[in-house]
Amino acid sequence: MTATASTTTAPAWRRYFGWSTDHKVIGVQYLVTSFFFFLVGGAMAGMIRTQLLAPDSTLVSAEAYNRLTTNHGSVMLFLWILPVLAGLGNYLIPLQIGARDMAFPRLNALSFWLLVPSGLLMLASFFVGAAEAGWTAYVPLSVAGPDGQTLWAISVVLLGTSSMMGSINFVTTIFTMRTAGMTFWRMPLFTWSMLATSILVLTATPVLTAGLVLIAMDRLVGTLFFSVPAGGDPILWQNLFWFYSHPAVYIMVLPAMGAVSEIFPVFSRKPVFGYKMIAFSSLAISLLGLTVWAHHMFTSGMDPRLRVPYMISTMIIAVPTGVKIFSWLATIWGGKLRLDTPMLFALGFISMFLIGGITGVFLAAIPIDLHVHDTYFVVAHLHFVLFGGSVSGAYAALYYWYPKITGRRLDERLGKVHFAANFIGTNLAYLPMFLAGLLGMPRRVVNYDPRFTELNQLASLGAFLLAASVLPFLYNVIVSWVSGPKAGDNPWRAKTLEWKTSSPPPAYNFDTPPVVTEGPYDYGEAAQGSLAPSPSAAGD
Amino acid sequence: MTSSSSPSTHVASRARQYVLVFVALAVITTIEIAMTQISIPATLASVFFLAFSLAKATLVATFFMHLRDDSPIYAAIFLLPVVLVLAFSTLMLMSAGH
Amino acid sequence: MTSHNITHEDEFRAGRELSLDHRKLGMWLFLASEVMFFGGLIGTFLHYKATIPSPESAELDTVLVGINTFVLITSSLMVVLGLDSIRRGSRRGLLTYLGLTALLGVVFLGGQGYEFVSLYGHGIALTSSVFGSSFFTLTGFHGLHVLIGVAWALLTLGKALRGTYSAQDHVGVEAFGLYWHFVDIVWIVLFTIIYLI
Repeated sequence: MTATASTTTAPAWRRYFGWSTDHKVIGVQYLVTSFFFFLVGGAMAGMIRTQLLAPDSTLVSAEAYNRLTTNHGSVMLFLWILPVLAGLGNYLIPLQIGARDMAFPRLNALSFWLLVPSGLLMLASFFVGAAEAGWTAYVPLSVAGPDGQTLWAISVVLLGTSSMMGSINFVTTIFTMRTAGMTFWRMPLFTWSMLATSILVLTATPVLTAGLVLIAMDRLVGTLFFSVPAGGDPILWQNLFWFYSHPAVYIMVLPAMGAVSEIFPVFSRKPVFGYKMIAFSSLAISLLGLTVWAHHMFTSGMDPRLRVPYMISTMIIAVPTGVKIFSWLATIWGGKLRLDTPMLFALGFISMFLIGGITGVFLAAIPIDLHVHDTYFVVAHLHFVLFGGSVSGAYAALYYWYPKITGRRLDERLGKVHFAANFIGTNLAYLPMFLAGLLGMPRRVVNYDPRFTELNQLASLGAFLLAASVLPFLYNVIVSWVSGPKAGDNPWRAKTLEWKTSSPPPAYNFDTPPVVTEGPYDYGEAAQGSLAPSPSAAGD
Repeated sequence: MTSSSSPSTHVASRARQYVLVFVALAVITTIEIAMTQISIPATLASVFFLAFSLAKATLVATFFMHLRDDSPIYAAIFLLPVVLVLAFSTLMLMSAGH
Repeated sequence: MTSHNITHEDEFRAGRELSLDHRKLGMWLFLASEVMFFGGLIGTFLHYKATIPSPESAELDTVLVGINTFVLITSSLMVVLGLDSIRRGSRRGLLTYLGLTALLGVVFLGGQGYEFVSLYGHGIALTSSVFGSSFFTLTGFHGLHVLIGVAWALLTLGKALRGTYSAQDHVGVEAFGLYWHFVDIVWIVLFTIIYLI
């Protein structure tokens, strides 16, 4: 391979369609692929919300509705949020730590190329009778039912494997490839968040894999793990499933939190408040996140002795989360704010994640959960943390790092239109659902009692606004990549290492390996770092 | 430094240590099998078996996998899931009968 | 223009400062995930052991499997003696011990196969009861890991024959060893919870 690639233009578009071991190419492959699945999952949501415009609509049959809700959830979680954040990690980690690529570049390529067939497999399940047991696949329902459920299970196993391969790469790279002077306490907070996330991926995912293997074996080979007549225990599946799927929500939010941690200091022109506290809190959320899973099972008939301990552990997680929120607020406080689109989405993240997080603490309280479990209260909570939270954070990250990835600037006016539609749409779609749930509307129902009609219509209106909000974003991304204004190395005047190289970066990221002499958020202080080792530095 | 295919004389062999660990593992395993052939109260036996298996696993991890000599980071990476599995298994044992 | 004055070793300097080899670190992280995978299966086995009576477990032949346990423990000794050999530069020692490891692995699998067949003869099968399902799945996945280990041992032996490893660089042997010892540890746990308790 020659080293004569131009340093100022992105690789030819053809490169993105093939096997590449360059983490930047792989990162973009992840981002684009996952956004495609976001649109697929969104289309399913559109159908769901259309069906729910009227209490007795017959647009969609009950079975089809179950398949829609199952696959909407599965696609959004497994094929959009998890991979888009992994893609950001892939693109940014080596750049942020001053490395030239990941520790295992071929494993990295393999992780991406596992994603594609897995995603297609999940979609293909529609052709053999799609999965219809909810994304939670509770037994014994998921052991019966159409063949699509088996494809779904296999698909999720493959996706989990891809995810784990990615995390092995992330952790190894972070531990072993930081550039000279990049101590752990000078690492950017996004990289810290990917480290915390990877702990969860590696410890939690395999347990779900084991559970899915058991379901697949029951379906394909006739084992009796979840056969109730033979003594199979449905609660066992719930434990195996939620052991992963609860930490999964932290896997889905920690990187988004890491992204907004990067954005707030840059757009406030202030150092991050509580850098170490934010890093420690990420680790705390990660480790505590492994202890709370059965709060999804309060009404299942789980061992009653265990309920209160899970309630307590769940509430404790609010503490490090709160530490982060206060740290972000303190970062912004008194800063010279620039309300560009990345900052707007980051601010949206705080406000909407807060609503989701606080309602999560409500749900942790067993007496409340007993009444609102499996109602729209939960649907509202989860969408506020995942859409209001993770998706806002993902958008913030995409707007922030787009210039670095493509070398072009996005149009700010379109960005603000996108933000406004997204913010209003999210609140309009999901706030009514809290009320509907408190009033007793169950989730996963194709028809509902007429007294919930207005609330559902409001929610559907919000959903359609969200659908429309994607259009200015897509237009902006595509047109700007082709003909947007050039970005330059550091359009946001940020201090993390990825901004010290060209946009887009050259093949091996840095012309010479950077040497770090200061923290990543020392705004307002005299710059001291340099790209090349100073002449007096001992060669190391 | 040149590589050579003949045994170098300045790196000490640790074969003796490894064989001693193996003997310990073998002795423990023999005791375990012997215990199954005589009648002992089940709960007491279980405690011993669990302790023995913990001892054997620790010996293999510490000496054969060199956790003792290498960076403690490897040990931490291995220990976290072991603790989680212990906790998870205990919970799965507890949730008996509904 | 880009200049790649970073040598391969410099890339991983941060790791060396922490006494970490990136390949070993990757292997330990992989093993951590494998611990959790077996943890899910072990949790399942224990849950059903505690909640469903399993008269079939009286048919388990603890002595036979105990001997098989010896075989696997011995194979771990072979692996580490092989590593000891190449650390001292003895390629011949490495080859011998890798060969013995693979052989003992095959013997172990043979013992497992014999046990499976005799249990099947007593009407205990993968689909005959919850016990059958959880027993065969747990031991079956372990056996699969042994099989992969035997293949890996032979691959490592092949590379050793071609002179890939030396006293200075034999991380590949260490990585294989870590995997093999891990599989041994899983068996130690399985032997206890399935046959002893």
